[in-house]
Amino acid sequence: MKQHPFCTDTEHGPTVMDLPIPAGLKQEWAALQTRRRFLGRTGKVLGWAALASLLGDRWLAEDARAASTNRPSGSAAGESLGLPHFAPKAKRAIYLFMSGGPPQMDMLDYKPNLRALYDKDIPDSVRGAQQLTGMTAGQARFPIAPSHWEFKRYGNTGTWVSDLLPYTGRMIDDLTIIKTTNTDAINHEPAIMLMNTGNMNPGKPCLGSWLAYGLGTMNDNLPTFMVLQSKVNSKENNQPVSSRLWSSGFLSSEYSGVGLRSAGDPVLYLSDPNGVDREVRRKMLDAVNEINRQTYEELGDPETNSRISQYEMAYRMQTSVPELADLSKEPQSTWDLYGPEAKEPGTFAYNCLLARRMAERGVRFTQVYKRGWDVHGNVTGVLPMLCQETDRACYALVTDLKQRGLLDDTLVIWAGEFGRTVYSQGGLTKDNYGRDHHPRCFTTWMAGGGVRPGITYGETDEYSYNVVKDPVHVRDFNATLLHCLGIDHNKLTYKFQGLDQKLTGPTPASLVPGLLA
Amino acid sequence: MAVLADKFVPNCRLTRTVWIAALGLTVALLLLPWVVKLDGRPHADWEQFLGRFHPLAVHIPIGLIVLVPVLELAGIQKPALREAAGFVLGLGFVGCLCALTLGYLLAYGSGDMGAAVTRHMWGGIGLTIGVLLCLLARPWWLSGSVSRVYPAMLTSVLLVLAWAAHQGGSLTHGSNYLTAYMPAPMAHWLGVGAVRAKAPNPASFYAQHINSILDAKCVACHGEATMKGGLRVDSYERLMKGGQDGPVIVPGNPERSLLLVRVALPPDHRQFMPAEGKPPLNAEEIGWIRAWVQQGASPTVSTLTGISIRVEPKELPFEPVGDYSGLMPEIEQLEKGQGAKLTPVSAKSSDGLILNTVDVAGSFGDAQLRQFQKFAPYIVEAELGRTLVTNSSFDTLGRFTHLRALHLEGTSVTGDGLAKLAPLSQLTYLNLSGTKVTKAAVAPLDSMKNLRHLYLYNTPVQPAPAAEAMQPIARKAP
Repeated sequence: MKQHPFCTDTEHGPTVMDLPIPAGLKQEWAALQTRRRFLGRTGKVLGWAALASLLGDRWLAEDARAASTNRPSGSAAGESLGLPHFAPKAKRAIYLFMSGGPPQMDMLDYKPNLRALYDKDIPDSVRGAQQLTGMTAGQARFPIAPSHWEFKRYGNTGTWVSDLLPYTGRMIDDLTIIKTTNTDAINHEPAIMLMNTGNMNPGKPCLGSWLAYGLGTMNDNLPTFMVLQSKVNSKENNQPVSSRLWSSGFLSSEYSGVGLRSAGDPVLYLSDPNGVDREVRRKMLDAVNEINRQTYEELGDPETNSRISQYEMAYRMQTSVPELADLSKEPQSTWDLYGPEAKEPGTFAYNCLLARRMAERGVRFTQVYKRGWDVHGNVTGVLPMLCQETDRACYALVTDLKQRGLLDDTLVIWAGEFGRTVYSQGGLTKDNYGRDHHPRCFTTWMAGGGVRPGITYGETDEYSYNVVKDPVHVRDFNATLLHCLGIDHNKLTYKFQGLDQKLTGPTPASLVPGLLA
Repeated sequence: MAVLADKFVPNCRLTRTVWIAALGLTVALLLLPWVVKLDGRPHADWEQFLGRFHPLAVHIPIGLIVLVPVLELAGIQKPALREAAGFVLGLGFVGCLCALTLGYLLAYGSGDMGAAVTRHMWGGIGLTIGVLLCLLARPWWLSGSVSRVYPAMLTSVLLVLAWAAHQGGSLTHGSNYLTAYMPAPMAHWLGVGAVRAKAPNPASFYAQHINSILDAKCVACHGEATMKGGLRVDSYERLMKGGQDGPVIVPGNPERSLLLVRVALPPDHRQFMPAEGKPPLNAEEIGWIRAWVQQGASPTVSTLTGISIRVEPKELPFEPVGDYSGLMPEIEQLEKGQGAKLTPVSAKSSDGLILNTVDVAGSFGDAQLRQFQKFAPYIVEAELGRTLVTNSSFDTLGRFTHLRALHLEGTSVTGDGLAKLAPLSQLTYLNLSGTKVTKAAVAPLDSMKNLRHLYLYNTPVQPAPAAEAMQPIARKAP
C-alpha cells in the first residue's frame, strides 16, 4: 500500500522528505515539525507537497534539482534580509547602560534657578496628575532639591557640566547630548525592558539581538553581541539586571547577548578541564554535533541548530576570548588614559577597555552595564562614587576610539532607564537629599558614527521635570540608533504572533533628524 | 442647431426638448463661476465634507470617457460594443456632472483659489459640456449623415480631459510633480524646471533660509497655482501682504504673526499648518522664522543675532561601483579558500563591498591581498588592520580606485610607498595607528585633498600622549 505523502512516520515508506520538491521547502517542512511553526507556516509546504503528489515526480524533479544547486545562504544573516537598508555611518555600537536612573539635574541638565527655590514645594501645575511611585506618593511635601554641585562650562560649545564629571567635560564637544529622552515607565523593570527591547513586558528581543539578527557578524571568532557587567559597589543602591535584558526573545537564541563575567574566568567552563586538550574537545564536539544533527532531522526544532552553532562558537571562543581579555600588551598610555582601576577585572573602566578591544575585533554590539544609579537617598554620598567610577572611563573610551580612528564608525551610547525627580525623596537638608524615579525627562548622550557632535538636543523646563522642546521618546531614541547603523526601524521586522514585530513596537516612532550628523 | 437636428434625426419633438435642455445646462455651467464666486473664504463644513469626495468621484468619468473611443473602435469588429459606447458615454456625462458638483463644493467650501484652481475648474466645465455635445452628436454619426463631427469632438474631449486632469494633479501633488525627477536632458529639451527668479538680495537671511522653508513646506498650497485662504508666500511682497485673514507676518511681533502662530500649534489642532498631513516645519525652522520676524522681518538683512546656521560640510559624492553580481561565484570561491570576506556595505550593490580580514588577520599578507585585486573596482573599504601586509602592498592598494577607507592599523607598514595611494581620489579615511610610519613617509599624503580622516595615533609621528595631558580643563564661567 502506498503511504500518503504527508505521513511523517519514517518507518513506513515515503514522506514529504522523499518528494521531488525544492530542498528549501524540505528544510521548511522539517522546521514545521515544531508545533508553533506548524501552526504558523504550514500552508506553503503542504501546497507544494500536494502539487507534487498531483503532478507526479517528473514535473517537479527539474525544479528540485535547480533549487538544490542554488548556493546555500551561508553568508551573514544580513545579506539575506537585505540589510543594511542603506550605507551605515556606524558599523558597530557600544552601549554604556547606567542601570538605576542617573539624576540628570546633578550631571548634565543644568538648572541654576533651582538654587533660589531650595526647599520650596514644586508647583502642582508642574507635576500635574502624574502618578508617582509608592516611594514618594505618600510624601506630604515635594520640596525642591537643587543640585549640590557647581557647574562649569566646557569645550568650544560652552556646555554646562557638573563638577562631578570633569572628564566628561573634556570630551563635551564630541558628544550629542539629549536632555529630553522620556519613557513610559516609572519603575525599574518595565523601564529597563522598554529601553532595551522597546516593550515593557519581557519576551521581546533586545536592541543587540535585533542588530545581531539584522546585520550579522563581522567576526567569526567572537559573538556578535556581548554583554559586560560591572562589579557591584555595595555602598550603592544596586538594582538587579537580568539576562532578560540581552535575551533574543522570539528570535533564534543564537542572537542573544553573550555575557562576560566580571570576576574570574570571563566565560565559565570555557577553558578545557585538566587532561582534556583541544583535540579531544574537538572530537567530543563533533560527536555531540552529530547527535544534535540527528535530533534535528528527527524533530526539526530550529533551536537545535542554534545549539550546534553555539557549541562551535564556544569552541572558537576558547582561543579568541583569552586573547581579547589579555591586557598585558596594552601600553602604559592605555593605563594613563583609563586610570588604574582599568587593571582590575570587572570594574567599569576595565569593561570600557574591553569594549574598545571588542570594537577593534569586530564585535557588532557591546553593552556595558553599570549598576547603582538608583539614588533614592544620600545623593551627596553616593553620586560622587558613581561618577568617579564612570566619568573617566567614559571619557577614556570615547577618546581612545577617537584617537584610534574607530569613532568614525562606532556609535557610543550612554543612557539609563529613566531620570530622577527634582524634589527630594525623604528629608531635604542643606547637605543631602534623595531623588525618586522620573520618566518624563532624562539626559542621555551618544557619540561617534552617525550622530552630530557638539550639540545639546531638546529643552526641559526650569525644574527639569517636563519637556519643553523636542521630546525624544525611547522609541524615537531607538529608531535613531538603528538609523545610524543603516537600518530603517520600520523595515527590520520579524513575524511573530501575527504581527510584524520590530524594536520600536507598533506605536509610530520617528527618527530624530536633529541628532544626525 | 435645433433645425439641423430636425432634419437628420427622427422623433423631432423629443430631440428639440433635449437640445433645449442641453443648451440651458451649458449656459448654466458657463455662468456658474460668476453666480457662485470662488472668493477664497472657507464656507460651510458640509460643503467641504462632500467636496473631499471629489478626488474619488473624478476618476469614474475619466475611466468611462477613455473607454468610449475604445468601444467605438472595437465596435468595427463587434457591433454590440458600439452599442455599449453610447451607454458608457451617457454614464460618463452623469459622472462628469457629479465630479464637477463635488469639485465645486470642495473649492468653494475650503476657500481655494488661484490660477491652477481656476484652470482646473474651467477644464472640468469644458469637459462636461464637451461630453454633452458628444452625446448629442453621436446619433448623427451613427446614422451616417454627419461623419466627422463626432470623432472630432470626441478627440477634443480627450484632449480637454488630459489637460484638466493634469491641472488637478498639479493641485494635489504640486506643479513640479512630473518634472522634479525628469532626466536632465529631457527637462532641458522641454525647457521645464528652470530656476526661479532670485530675490533682490540673494545673500539675505530671507532669501537664504526663510524663502526656502516656505518654498518647501507652504508654497504647494499658498503659491501661484493654489492660493488657499487667499494667501501666497512665494515672494517677499506677497508674504507680507497676507491673505483673507489679514497679514500673516507682523514685523517685530512673532506672537501676532499668524503664520508663526499656526505652524506652532499642536499638530492635531484644527488650525495647524501645514494642513492635511503635509510635512510640518521642524523646531529649527520655526525658530529661524521666529527670530527673523522678531528682528524686523527684513528682506535684505543677511544675519540675525542669536541664530547661527551650521553650513554642512559637503559630503563627497561617492562614485557608485559597478555591478559585480556576475563575479559572485569567483568571489565566493576566493572567500572559501582564504577566509577573508567581501561583505556588501548595504542592500544597494552600488554601495560596494568591504574587504574584511579580521578572522584571518594572522595569515593575511601581501599575496592574499593581491588575489583581491581583481575585485578592486568594487571594494570601497579595506580592513587590513593587524594583518601581515607590508609596504609592498601599497602597489596593489594603488589600484583599488574606489577605496574610501583603508585600515592599516597595527601592521608592519613603515610608510615607504604611501605615495602610491595618491591616485585614490575617493579615499577619505586612512588609519595608520600603531605602525612605524614617520613624518617623511606620510608627507606625500598632504596632496590627497579628500583624505580628511588620517589616523597616526601611537606612531613616531604622533606618540601616545603623556599622563599629565589627561587632566580635565574647565572653561571659566562667564
